Amino acid sequence: MTVWRKLLRHRLGAVGLAMLAVAVLVAIFAAVIAPYDPYENVRVSIDDIYQSPSPQHLLGTDDAGKDVFSGLVYGARVSLLVGFAGAFISLIVGGVIGLVAGFKGGRLGNGLMRFTDFFLVIPELALQIVIVAIIGQSLRNIILVIGLLGWTTSARLVRAQTLSVRARKFVERARAVGASDLYILRRHIFPQVVPLMLANAVLTISLAILAESTLAFIGLGDPTVISWGQMLNFAFTRGAVSAGAWWALVAPGLAIVWVVLGVTLLGNALEDLLNPRRGRHFLEPEPAMPAEETVGPAAERGAPAVLAVQDLAVEFVVAGARMRAVDGTTFSVRKGEALGLVGESGSGKTTAMLAALRLLPPGGEVVGGSVLLGGQNVFALTADELRDVRWTRMAMVFQGAMNALNPVRTVEDQIVEAISLHDPDLSKSAAQERAAHLLEVMGIDADRGSEYPHQFSGGMRQRAMIALALACDPDVIVADEPTTALDVMIQAQILELLKKLQRELGMALVLITHDLGVVAESCDRVVVMYGGIVAEQGTVEEVYSDPQHPYTKLLMEAFPDMEDPDRPLVSIPGLPPRLDRLPPGCRFAPRCPAAFDRCQVERPPSYVLSPGREASCFLLESRQVVGV
Amino acid sequence: MRGRLVLRKLGWALVTLVVVATFNFMLFRVLPGDPAKAGLRDPRLNQEAVEAARIRFGLDKPVFVNLEGGSPFDSQFFRYIGSLAEGDLGTSYAFNNRAVSDLLGRALVNTIWLVLPAQILAIVLGVVMGLVAAWKRGTAIDVGSLLFALFMWALPTFFLAILLLFFGGRWLGLPTGGRVTLGATYESGWEQAVDILRHLLLPTIGFALVLIGEYLLVMRSSVMEVFGEDYIQTAKAKGLSTIQIIRKHAFRNAMLPIVTLIALNLGFTVSGAIQVETVFSWPGLGKLTVDAVSQRDYPVLQGTFLLLAVAVIVANLIAELVYLRLDPRVTEV
Repeated sequence: MTVWRKLLRHRLGAVGLAMLAVAVLVAIFAAVIAPYDPYENVRVSIDDIYQSPSPQHLLGTDDAGKDVFSGLVYGARVSLLVGFAGAFISLIVGGVIGLVAGFKGGRLGNGLMRFTDFFLVIPELALQIVIVAIIGQSLRNIILVIGLLGWTTSARLVRAQTLSVRARKFVERARAVGASDLYILRRHIFPQVVPLMLANAVLTISLAILAESTLAFIGLGDPTVISWGQMLNFAFTRGAVSAGAWWALVAPGLAIVWVVLGVTLLGNALEDLLNPRRGRHFLEPEPAMPAEETVGPAAERGAPAVLAVQDLAVEFVVAGARMRAVDGTTFSVRKGEALGLVGESGSGKTTAMLAALRLLPPGGEVVGGSVLLGGQNVFALTADELRDVRWTRMAMVFQGAMNALNPVRTVEDQIVEAISLHDPDLSKSAAQERAAHLLEVMGIDADRGSEYPHQFSGGMRQRAMIALALACDPDVIVADEPTTALDVMIQAQILELLKKLQRELGMALVLITHDLGVVAESCDRVVVMYGGIVAEQGTVEEVYSDPQHPYTKLLMEAFPDMEDPDRPLVSIPGLPPRLDRLPPGCRFAPRCPAAFDRCQVERPPSYVLSPGREASCFLLESRQVVGV
Repeated sequence: MRGRLVLRKLGWALVTLVVVATFNFMLFRVLPGDPAKAGLRDPRLNQEAVEAARIRFGLDKPVFVNLEGGSPFDSQFFRYIGSLAEGDLGTSYAFNNRAVSDLLGRALVNTIWLVLPAQILAIVLGVVMGLVAAWKRGTAIDVGSLLFALFMWALPTFFLAILLLFFGGRWLGLPTGGRVTLGATYESGWEQAVDILRHLLLPTIGFALVLIGEYLLVMRSSVMEVFGEDYIQTAKAKGLSTIQIIRKHAFRNAMLPIVTLIALNLGFTVSGAIQVETVFSWPGLGKLTVDAVSQRDYPVLQGTFLLLAVAVIVANLIAELVYLRLDPRVTEV
């Protein structure tokens, strides 16, 4: 019963459960709790009517001189009875209809859903009123009417759940081996659907309780039983307002609120626990940036770097624990250069580039180092300056172009937006012209710019994303796995385009990928990342022909060699390190065939082997070039 | 392709309309009690008078299809549909034998006066509060909004209306019933308008408060969902400010579920109108329904019910067409 324990830890859920429990106990022990029996016929005098609260009558008396508090206590029985019984009927009817509609599908399923849709347009309370008025206002009739008219939501939910479970592998497999419908329902569908229905069941109870009190207030309650709605009806229609007898009005109303709020809080908590929302939130305020403003040697070395990452460190806070995702990473890209950033997933390559534009997801935090974009420290910029730098200095083609474009705005519109944002003086038509030109450059017919992203194929969307990245003529374009999820032909096309553009426009390109082949084909230099640090960097030629770091060496052996196709491919034993359990010494030591004692306790610095060529391994200590 | 979609939606609304009309016809015949007898409960009526009434209301005809000679359409059902098509909803038993369509027309206008401002107020406030709550997720503002919404949802409409009537009437001296002050004479049209507005104030506030909770909750979760979408990250990377991102990229996408909710909520709106009008003696459709129930005035009840259903169907259709405009991805029903 983990849900049970979680519920008690969920603060609002526990409160709701307690509120409901109080109501249930009051209903059960009504005879003990109530000081008077409201069903007993007593003679009343005119003085007993609407007495204000007193020690004899804690909540005063009503229009018939009866104790309001006792009425409340007994009223709990009717409310809860109708609530639970009505909801039970709704859930059974809705459950069966939803289950059949979802499981059988086809004509029957469609027909049933149309039937449900039809009930959605009928105003429920009006129908309840009409039917109860005609068939008579007994408690049984009220329960039946509320129960039989309240099934539509459950039916829709159960159908949706059933449909999704039905499509899963294990159900298809069970069907393939000839299991009967009943067996599949009992063994596979029920256990999946029932827990998800819990929150809905609770909600249905609160709706039934509200429906009962509303009917009773309108004068359609069972006249032989005491219910909260009816107490309100009597008080309201029999002069409580003019008598100023607020207690006779407020007390039963608050009793309804108590139960419904309790049930609602409980349902809300169950919904939270059973269907947790994803935690991403790109508009959360940014955490503070490291104050240091260091201009590292990377910026001064050789040709001016358009992007220089210096000792960058990024941490993630997950469930209270801090994890280092990027740990002292240094590399740079010059104008007109294509840099490949390679590594396994979790090596920190994407995180480093997101940090460079201060786009870390929630929980991510830059804890040290600097990023220079055209000589400006990105981390020292004000919010306004940062917005100016974004997309003009560096633009990104995010991983998974499927969702990177807004689905309800046209493609051209989204490109024009970026152009106009950073060049407000440009006329709208000129911006549109530029957007059309960019699409043409990317091989997309300019007319199709007025279409929406969903009308594009996967490859087209990726090209549109690149056109968007080109919008403000940035110094650096970062492309994060631009070819994953595309088929091989399209992959080659996109890479070809990127390379051509980079050469023609003289931009710097950072290509984030785990594919060494892509890097070999499109990049000048390569940075190999492992566990948040740079293992090795250099020109593609150097690193591919003569890898220095043991990790790079193993990577190259795992990668097919065109000139020596018979060489056996070797995979690296072990798994990449988990960020919450990083080894104390070298990150690669646990998997390294050449590791020795020092590697287990001390972290190797990055040794410069020749200008622009670095590797982080103690084996290379003697080979470092000093004074570069 | 989308033109056909609009046609299909229109067609579906028409089909629903016919089904609702049929259902409405059946409801008052299948359920126990001869409608004419139930309406003419006066014990002094003798058999002949009842028979005369039966003929007058056409209850001597077959229910669905006339197989007893004459036109097959000479039945209660086709007569009902025929008179519906002419806008004739019959005559009230209780309200001085007035035409039902006449009663409904007046009540409908009054209900619109109440429902429209309340809906607009609730949608605007609910959407804004939901947006802010999602934006400031996890802060006191967010938790406060959430609790407010849940509390409003748990508050029965009629109870909230009674509280407003009791305390609003007592402390603020606002009128608590009816549409105008009874017996008042007005110097100018302006004075009359002010009187009506004063009467509208409490019911409108009560109604809006009841509706606000659900809009807030749906908007909040919808915005939170959208804020986690990849295209929001793209917009941020492009250099848009938070306000620009919300205005140009998050708002429209987050509004999609609200449009659906407005349509789905209309049944709930009707239920709210019934309760608010009953408490404030507002002479609209809701009060008419309740009065007709207590008088067992079936023609009025049948007419109100049909009108409410038609209103919901039409509003649903409008919401679906708006949704089509807002979301270019929808290409099939």
